[in-house]
Amino acid sequence: MLSIKNLHAGIEEKKILKGINLEINAGEVHAIMGPNGSGKSTLASVLAGRTDFAVTEGSVEFLHKDLLELSPEERAGEGIFLAFQYPIEIPGLTTTNFIKTAVNEVRKYRGEGPLDAVQFLKLMKEKMALMNIDQSLLSRSLNEGFSGGEKKRNEIFQMAMLQPRLAILDETDSGLDIDAIRIVSNGVNKLRNKDNAVLVVTHYQRLLDYIVPDFVHVLYNGRIVKSGGKELALELEERGYDFIKNEVNAGQEA
Amino acid sequence: METGSAITWKYPSVILKGDNSTGEFYSVAVTNNYQQADTGTKMQHIGKNTRSRIVSKGISAGHSNNSYRGLVHINKNAANSRNFSQCDSLLLGDKCGAHTFPYIEVKNNSTVVEHEATTSKIGEDQIFYCNQRGIDTETAVALIINGFAKEVMNQLPMEFAVEAQKLLAISLEGSVG
Repeated sequence: MLSIKNLHAGIEEKKILKGINLEINAGEVHAIMGPNGSGKSTLASVLAGRTDFAVTEGSVEFLHKDLLELSPEERAGEGIFLAFQYPIEIPGLTTTNFIKTAVNEVRKYRGEGPLDAVQFLKLMKEKMALMNIDQSLLSRSLNEGFSGGEKKRNEIFQMAMLQPRLAILDETDSGLDIDAIRIVSNGVNKLRNKDNAVLVVTHYQRLLDYIVPDFVHVLYNGRIVKSGGKELALELEERGYDFIKNEVNAGQEA
Repeated sequence: METGSAITWKYPSVILKGDNSTGEFYSVAVTNNYQQADTGTKMQHIGKNTRSRIVSKGISAGHSNNSYRGLVHINKNAANSRNFSQCDSLLLGDKCGAHTFPYIEVKNNSTVVEHEATTSKIGEDQIFYCNQRGIDTETAVALIINGFAKEVMNQLPMEFAVEAQKLLAISLEGSVG
């Protein structure tokens, strides 16, 4: 589904990603872990099409299309969804109105007609029940005055409404307490199926107790230096990132 | 609602002569390209226990300058009068300007006058957030602006509010991106 080959990207003169290779197939859950500053969030932003980062080398193919040629809104139309680490506030714009516009714009991109009010409300009710989210949250201005947990739940609710093919969760667990992590993870797990894929970006193994990955990759210094199954996350939790760093540095010296 | 001419000066005013009378002023002023707008209101409080409320929303784009200039005048005899003013400005791009000039003249000491002003800019982050959800930049700007002007739009009759929203979008077409 997603095929990243030798991806280099950076901001101005600074190189952040230095040759990422990653294959994600439908139905899989991949986790990307790594210490601060290793490039995890950059990778998520580049995939979503943030223009702050310049791609200098490599290719990204998504469902047989060249992803790097597409604008952010086209990527969303193709089915890429990014759950933001810090969701943005828009005062005065109700969450419902925002989601309705998003759903209909994505439908337009796919050549489908807009949902009328009745169809939209029905879909929303259904997803609200699934995500255990309250109507009052959706009547408020988008993310304005939301608590950390409410913002993240709102991200996952939007994911449920947009039904992406590839969902990228950028440190969705940051700033959440245990209960909120459980609620958010349950939401993600309910949305998993054999046709979509999830890429989880996180510091901590904790989130992966709830969203169990098929593959874990460790990003360090702009490269994926180690990949494995879910037991790799446990090993990291136990031994810290230092052993990876040491392994990498030793490898370079040899 | 103000989207009009190259240079606009406009201050529709209220004289609160009778005791217990109230005045309300709601406005949205949009400037684009090289337009200059200097708009606002005058609230003349003469009667006792008079109340006024001013909500002004200014949106500047392109190379334009948008000013709010308002006078709240409270007479010696206008005891226990109240005024609340709120002026919010929204900037699109980095070539435009927003200015707020509140004039407050109070001639007695039983009156309460409040003035609040904010200035904000449509952020790249807000646009990108919308883009990531499949909403193109032009639509995103319209959503953000309508959110900004909502307090005033809510005062309008429904049919006119719909027209006003479209007018906002048209006035700002092509001003971002």
